[in-house]
Amino acid sequence: MSSTRPELPREFVASHKRRRMMDAIAELTAENGYEATKIADIVRRAAVARKTLYDNFDGKEDLFLSAIDASVSELRLAVEEGCRGGDGSSEARIVGGLEALLEFVAERPAAARMCMVEAISATPSSARLYDAAMRDFVDLFRESAPDGADLPETIEESLVGGVAWILQSQIRRGDAEQAPDLLPELSQFVLSPYLGVGRVVDGGGSRD
Amino acid sequence: MERLPRGRHGLSAEFVARNQRERLISGLTEALYEVGYHETTVSLIGRRAAVSKSDFYKHFESKDDCFVAAYETAIERIRERVLAACEGAEGKSWAERVPEAVGGLLDLFDEEPALASIALVEGLRAGRGVYDRYQAALESFVALLGQGSPRPAVGGEMAEATDEAVIGGITSLLSRRILAGEGERLSDLFTEIVEFTFSAYLGGEEARRIVSAG
Repeated sequence: MSSTRPELPREFVASHKRRRMMDAIAELTAENGYEATKIADIVRRAAVARKTLYDNFDGKEDLFLSAIDASVSELRLAVEEGCRGGDGSSEARIVGGLEALLEFVAERPAAARMCMVEAISATPSSARLYDAAMRDFVDLFRESAPDGADLPETIEESLVGGVAWILQSQIRRGDAEQAPDLLPELSQFVLSPYLGVGRVVDGGGSRD
Repeated sequence: MERLPRGRHGLSAEFVARNQRERLISGLTEALYEVGYHETTVSLIGRRAAVSKSDFYKHFESKDDCFVAAYETAIERIRERVLAACEGAEGKSWAERVPEAVGGLLDLFDEEPALASIALVEGLRAGRGVYDRYQAALESFVALLGQGSPRPAVGGEMAEATDEAVIGGITSLLSRRILAGEGERLSDLFTEIVEFTFSAYLGGEEARRIVSAG
């Protein structure tokens, strides 16, 4: 069939299918959890043949891990992009990164749930992916934050962990779409240790 | 003593049963800490608890069932310890109560690293089954922390998320340490956690001032 569509290169079709399968597992695990999600459900949702799934992935877990990996990379790129916005001050970097994170959660609730909630409990490997992603985001936060030399060494871990927990609760409640409303409070939370309480919102700037 | 042989035996059976159940719960908690969930079998739990496999099934339907009971026990013991620390500091200011509560929590974790691990790591890994209990426990800590705390304002409004974010930050830090194999001496993080908590409400400078004033 693909030979009748020479304008769509085989590679494009293949990567589009991979994408559909990864989207499907994100949606299905968000709806029913990892355990209850079956290969049959995934291929039906993605509208691909069962064989296509096994041609591309070793099985359900491999697909799940690939989907998490892809979404975390996209999220990371979006957050890095957000950190570059604004006037380049560390406040603007942090608020910009946070804003990008909250928008990702609101716009891609299934992917967010897969990476931030389901990954922790689905399989030991997915839990390791979650831990590795947390470490990356802690590093990214540390690079962007104001000088914290006088603060506890673990401050970034605590702050990123606090933001993650708030978002996980929001996602579990089914309120992912409202995540951007949290920007003022979370900006204040992550910047207060560095800048003092009450000084933060002026710099937070993007929504008053 | 000779007067009530029957009654005494009746009591004893009940005592034995309760004692077995408690031993199975701590057997699972310790096995989990040492070999992980997958490797923790009913036989291993039984061996550690010195309870036969058939007696195991008198108390629990399955390993999962025993896990849920162990998880609940761990959460309850943590809550009791933190509440006791807070009660001991009753009448004191918020800034005096925070170190008491954090200290009580970390002392318990040092005494029983396996308990810290099941509560902070294994519970979340186990997924939907016990998540509600984890959340409920954290919410009770959120409420405790909020009592009498300084209220940081956002644009004139209270930052409601602060209490929750601080509790989430502390538990996340502790669980990351346990995962990194550094769960034996969580009390080393005492000053860091107290200073983090103060800095979220008061800013880093003020937090440092309070912590270094002791």
